[in-house]
Amino acid sequence: MGFITGILYDSVYHAIPILLCVLGGIFAYKANVLNIALEGMMLAGAFVSVLVSFKTENVMLGYIAAVVTCLAIGLIFAFFGVSCKGNVIVIGLAVNMSIVAIAGFVLQLMNSANIKLGFTNAADFKIHIPIIKNIPILGGIISGHTIITYITFVSIVLVWILMYRTKFGIYVRVVGENEDSAKSLGLNTNKYRYLAILLGSFFCALAGINLALERMTIFTNSMTAGRGFIAIAAIYCGRGDPLSCTFYALIFGLARALSVNLSLYAGAAAAVFDVIPYVVMSIVLTVVSVIKYRNSRVRGM
Amino acid sequence: MTKKKSDYIGPKVLNTLLPVGLAFLIGGIIILCIGENPLEAYRIMLGKSLFTAKGFLNTLHYASPLLLTGLAIAITFKANLFNMGVEGQLLVGGFFAGIAGASLDLTSPVMQKVVCMLVGIGCGVLFALIPALLRAFFHVDEMVVTLMLNYAMIKVLEYLSSGPFREAGSGYVCTPVIHESAMFQRLGIGNSRLTMFFFLAFAILLIMTFIFKKTKLGMEITAIGKNPDFAEATGMRVRRKIIILMCISGALAGLAGAGHMMSEKFKYTLGFSGTTGLGWDGMLIALLGRHNPIGVLLAAIFYSALKTGADNINMYTSVPKEIVGVLQGLIILFLAVQFLDERFGLRERFARRMSRKEEA
Repeated sequence: MGFITGILYDSVYHAIPILLCVLGGIFAYKANVLNIALEGMMLAGAFVSVLVSFKTENVMLGYIAAVVTCLAIGLIFAFFGVSCKGNVIVIGLAVNMSIVAIAGFVLQLMNSANIKLGFTNAADFKIHIPIIKNIPILGGIISGHTIITYITFVSIVLVWILMYRTKFGIYVRVVGENEDSAKSLGLNTNKYRYLAILLGSFFCALAGINLALERMTIFTNSMTAGRGFIAIAAIYCGRGDPLSCTFYALIFGLARALSVNLSLYAGAAAAVFDVIPYVVMSIVLTVVSVIKYRNSRVRGM
Repeated sequence: MTKKKSDYIGPKVLNTLLPVGLAFLIGGIIILCIGENPLEAYRIMLGKSLFTAKGFLNTLHYASPLLLTGLAIAITFKANLFNMGVEGQLLVGGFFAGIAGASLDLTSPVMQKVVCMLVGIGCGVLFALIPALLRAFFHVDEMVVTLMLNYAMIKVLEYLSSGPFREAGSGYVCTPVIHESAMFQRLGIGNSRLTMFFFLAFAILLIMTFIFKKTKLGMEITAIGKNPDFAEATGMRVRRKIIILMCISGALAGLAGAGHMMSEKFKYTLGFSGTTGLGWDGMLIALLGRHNPIGVLLAAIFYSALKTGADNINMYTSVPKEIVGVLQGLIILFLAVQFLDERFGLRERFARRMSRKEEA
């Protein structure tokens, strides 16, 4: 029983950064700006949060700095992609590459391969919810996560409300679905694109903080390892709907948790299990696509 | 509408040079911030690798795989496909070319080299075939799949090189060194590292140029890039073309990996494709070269000079060589945006402005 509880706890644990990226990405996706830069923004959040905490020995400042940095990157992305009408995929990849390079540059200047916080450790960030932690199985799964984990689950609901029950959400979707009619309604389409992208960078900052600062209090370069891309796959699968995208992000968390837990028993071949999440996501993407186009009779693309 | 492409070359060149200039400017500010002289740093970086005979030949040597990866990405961009898996295809091609080079021992060195390269190409094609088939038959976005499969492939190769294929005697993770017969020998021109591989890559560049400019396949691919629905409606087999194109791209990437293995590395290590990755560099080269063969050639040489220069910069100054990665990212960022409208030439633009002034 402990084994299964462990896997489920790990599923939540591994799903959170993806889930946050997904929540951030869906607004941009709905506004028809594909945000490939999720990966880079998450890495920036991870890097800045740990770097600032390391320098100031103040975790709160790390949180704030990460959010501010990611918003700034989001602003750059939006400026080039929306205002200058550049190719957003190319811009996104440029952001991803720049962040890795800048982080590497700074690490090289500091003469170390990673940044490790000495004054705190990962256990400090875990919150044990008073009553729930005593419930036999559920307690083992739900309790003992970091603050951002709980924020994330609240955010799913908030994002759903924002997307379907507010003017903002409706306008963002109109801008994405039909820019001309949005313009004819007198909407400032660029404004909604900017806001959608900035919302995404905010969530990516949280994802980065969760990944590096809260979970491990350590930053190594490229530690995001494609999670941003997996989030994009999840967004594609769920077609931008917060609830179904959440579902796919959790599938990834489960795949990752299985790969981590099973690799303990695999011995030398343990490294191969790292492949599971990527392969699972590719298969899920395919299956969803097949179902979507099953009844389509159109030939070609 | 009888204007020729070459008429308006001014804005095109400017649109390519401006991003590079801007990136260097920002890079210079960063270098200034860490207390070094940016002009001095750039002089060290580019001076030796572009303006000395030996340095330039070495630059050409390191440009060879970049030429191929740049081409691999440029041709898919042309059809509006995003093969972001060039990095993974290059790695798998290089890895298995290395394994073949170490385990096979054919009597003829030429055969040995050909077989190794074919193994590299084959692996690249097979790996590119997965996203190609998914895209063509199931409408799966090829960009997302290739991006994810890159990570999967890196993990698999990490396992293979540290497990089954590991060189037993070495202190770090690497595969056995390939046989001498599989290595491209240095030609010894000007004491440089230049090998036959550069000329091979150059020949392939010419062949691909011919295919894309003069054959039916090339025309169709351009048509698909401009409007896939129209291409489909006129009876082109879009699905088949996508698969062919992804396979060509994978083959080029695989060959780039095999050549890099056989002319430079001679064994697979975890840092086989360098800090930014040869596949990712290809992306910069394709964009900088504006998907055009001569452009790709120039861009590959320029970027290779930057990269080889980065090693010098590390030696003579305290600027970390990651500065090249920063420059690369910035150049791509600025390249994504058109600064000038390319529909009009500089002279026409100037003339129009003048006439407008006169009117006023």
